[in-house]
Amino acid sequence: MNSFEGLSLLEQLGNVGSEVGRAEAAKAGGDKEKEQLAATRALDLLDRVVADPRWRPRLKEIVRARNLVADYFFGINEFNSKGFEKYFYQFALASRLKR
Amino acid sequence: MEIKVFDKEIYLSELEKIAAEQFGDLVKAVVDIEKKVMAVGGELHADEEKQLLDGGSEQKNLWGINLYPAKFGTEEFIEFDSMINIRPSQNNRSRSVEDESMQKKIRELVGEMMHE
Repeated sequence: MNSFEGLSLLEQLGNVGSEVGRAEAAKAGGDKEKEQLAATRALDLLDRVVADPRWRPRLKEIVRARNLVADYFFGINEFNSKGFEKYFYQFALASRLKR
Repeated sequence: MEIKVFDKEIYLSELEKIAAEQFGDLVKAVVDIEKKVMAVGGELHADEEKQLLDGGSEQKNLWGINLYPAKFGTEEFIEFDSMINIRPSQNNRSRSVEDESMQKKIRELVGEMMHE
């Protein structure tokens, strides 16, 4: 089993947060290429979270998070997002607290 | 962690315990402003939302917030930030609660329920 697909939801979203954090740091620093690369990796990971059959009953928020991340980094920020690092960092912290 | 739904008092110590076991400094909560209940303890706001919907709540009355036990008694105790709040049909187009009168209602409800 691929290691990402073996993680808990908290761990998976924590991993997404690492890439989102990189994308946000690049965005703040004006490095568009780095921002897009990290955001692409974040979306790829989010797509794998969405595809995980374990989370099917809980897809609403995961899909919404994916759409907002896509809107923020690749769209027009229609939903006036101010960033996601805090949202995803919470999951990383929670996964560490559970160990 | 099991999601708990409160319709009366919630003690700060309960929130502190949930925070310590989950996210460290915060507790995710969803309030039903009409039924005056609050669900806490979910990993996702959407998990709490689902529990309240299953219990008869209407989505238009549900709002997601984060509670910071260490900031109890201050404005920073409640943070209006949740994926479930994005509801264009109610003219709420961000993760926040954009209607200040609704923010006030939520603060009042949480204030009535919280006990130190």
